[in-house]
Amino acid sequence: MGIRLLKEPVLEKPDMVACWPGIGNIGALAVDTLRTQIGVEEFGDIEPWDFFYPRKVIIKAGVVTDMEFPGGRFYYKKGEGRDLIIFVAEEQPTDGGRMYAEGRKAYEMGGLVLDVAERFGCRRVYTSGAAVALTHHAARPRVWAVTTTESLLQDLKSCENTVLMSEIEGIGGGGSITGMNGLLLGMAGRRGFEAVCLMGEIPDYLSGIPFPFPRASKSVLEVLSRFLGLGINYEALDRMTAQVDGFIESICESLPPPMKERIGQRRIARQVRPEAITEEDAKWIKEHVDELFKKGDTGGERPS
Amino acid sequence: MKDPLRFSRRPELPSSSLVVAWSGDVGQLGPKVLDYLKRKLGCESFCEIEPVDFFPLGGVAIEDSLVQFPESRFYASPRHNLVLFESNSPASEWYRFLNIMLDVAEHYCHVKELYAIGGMVAVSAHTTPRELVANFNSSEVKEALTPYQILGEFDYETPLGQRPTLNSFLLWAAKRRNIPAVSLWVPIPFYLAGIDDPESKKRVLAFIDQRLELGIDFSDLDGEIRSQNEKLAEARNNVPYIEESIAKLESNQSLSEEESLRLVNGMDEFLRGK
Repeated sequence: MGIRLLKEPVLEKPDMVACWPGIGNIGALAVDTLRTQIGVEEFGDIEPWDFFYPRKVIIKAGVVTDMEFPGGRFYYKKGEGRDLIIFVAEEQPTDGGRMYAEGRKAYEMGGLVLDVAERFGCRRVYTSGAAVALTHHAARPRVWAVTTTESLLQDLKSCENTVLMSEIEGIGGGGSITGMNGLLLGMAGRRGFEAVCLMGEIPDYLSGIPFPFPRASKSVLEVLSRFLGLGINYEALDRMTAQVDGFIESICESLPPPMKERIGQRRIARQVRPEAITEEDAKWIKEHVDELFKKGDTGGERPS
Repeated sequence: MKDPLRFSRRPELPSSSLVVAWSGDVGQLGPKVLDYLKRKLGCESFCEIEPVDFFPLGGVAIEDSLVQFPESRFYASPRHNLVLFESNSPASEWYRFLNIMLDVAEHYCHVKELYAIGGMVAVSAHTTPRELVANFNSSEVKEALTPYQILGEFDYETPLGQRPTLNSFLLWAAKRRNIPAVSLWVPIPFYLAGIDDPESKKRVLAFIDQRLELGIDFSDLDGEIRSQNEKLAEARNNVPYIEESIAKLESNQSLSEEESLRLVNGMDEFLRGK
């Protein structure tokens, strides 16, 4: 079980951005956009077989020639803004059929990522993900922020469109962050790193969607890039947002009228208490999302 | 971490072959092959893998009023240089599980070759000869098995949304240790997969017997095959839709979903009722 480094880049106090897929692929899409735009170089990966079941066997003329596993790769970028290490995993290391990592495997994988952070002298680790919120899909998603370091609270609070998780209406000042994007924060703090998690809001009724929610990825990336001192071009994310918006609108059109109306009310005002969309509504949408997805797919363009 | 292996004894196995089967296999072919080998060759259990790290143990499953508990057990017949491993498919920590199994194979049993057995549902009639299909973890082991009339010249990639089989994973893990390994399976007529198909069992066993020079007397299994064939002939004679469906399969015509289901149920009723 271990890390395989292709090279040892010399980096000056880099920050690390680590990302595992989650709801609406919000963090993954944000980090992927960042990675593509700044032109990173891969320098290592985590041996995957201890964490994942293989996803593909390749057999040629009866002989097993290759076995593909979900990857977890390290990239670096030197010089523009801060030096940066990016870790991107294709799956969360779960035992059995769970969606999110927990337990020993999660802890071991998190440990390996932080080993790399330590080896290259990182001081701060960022993760990102989704914040399921009582919002509307066309509203600009806010970014919920948490950190391990008290001195960072003010910095986070002063970012545009950002709110500390403790200040979110209706969650009583607390909450939890499920899976690796949350666990890594705790582990990083314990090992002496500053750690920050930035979560883009996604409406509760879309939390089961099988496609990305780029509007929230953009919000996350706006805050992340500010901290990293990087300029980002959002054209690609905006194009994807337009596609997904059209697609979600077509799904909403096919909802039962009372539910459609209740969702529409959120366009007017952010919901503070869960009364406009009831828990039952959200449950209904989640349960029917595949069906709605198929309906919506018949006429429109499928978001990538 | 606690040692996951529990040895009850340590047989002398200076150079052996390992045959692996997973419970829950199509037609239970693998476990049935292993049961036969255990019985005929007097293989005895000598080691098991503790289930706690690999199976959800939040209770037990019950099947036909019988408690099912995951088992992962090695058997050996030192006289025949043969080791058997029978297990439920692990629910997690697959790579670790396979490596623990291969540790026993490599370090305690000095295994020189590994055969993983499996069944596969086939849309074919029982009168079609059972073929032995295989994939290999090296071209050398494929070459060595050329004389055994195994079908193994195919290309394959796991389709999107599916996962490789545990046997493919095992072959890959064995290759990392330079243990020659083969995954063998027999296409079982779909209407016999839930009942029994002694023909398929014989096809695998005949290969193992020949390859490992075990000298097994198959007269009992031949009797089982004869008896099954008689029952199948009787079913065809007495139940018109069974005859009609099987005749269609024999002439390479496809069955509708309804016809297939009717054949499965009718055959189940007929064979189990006999």
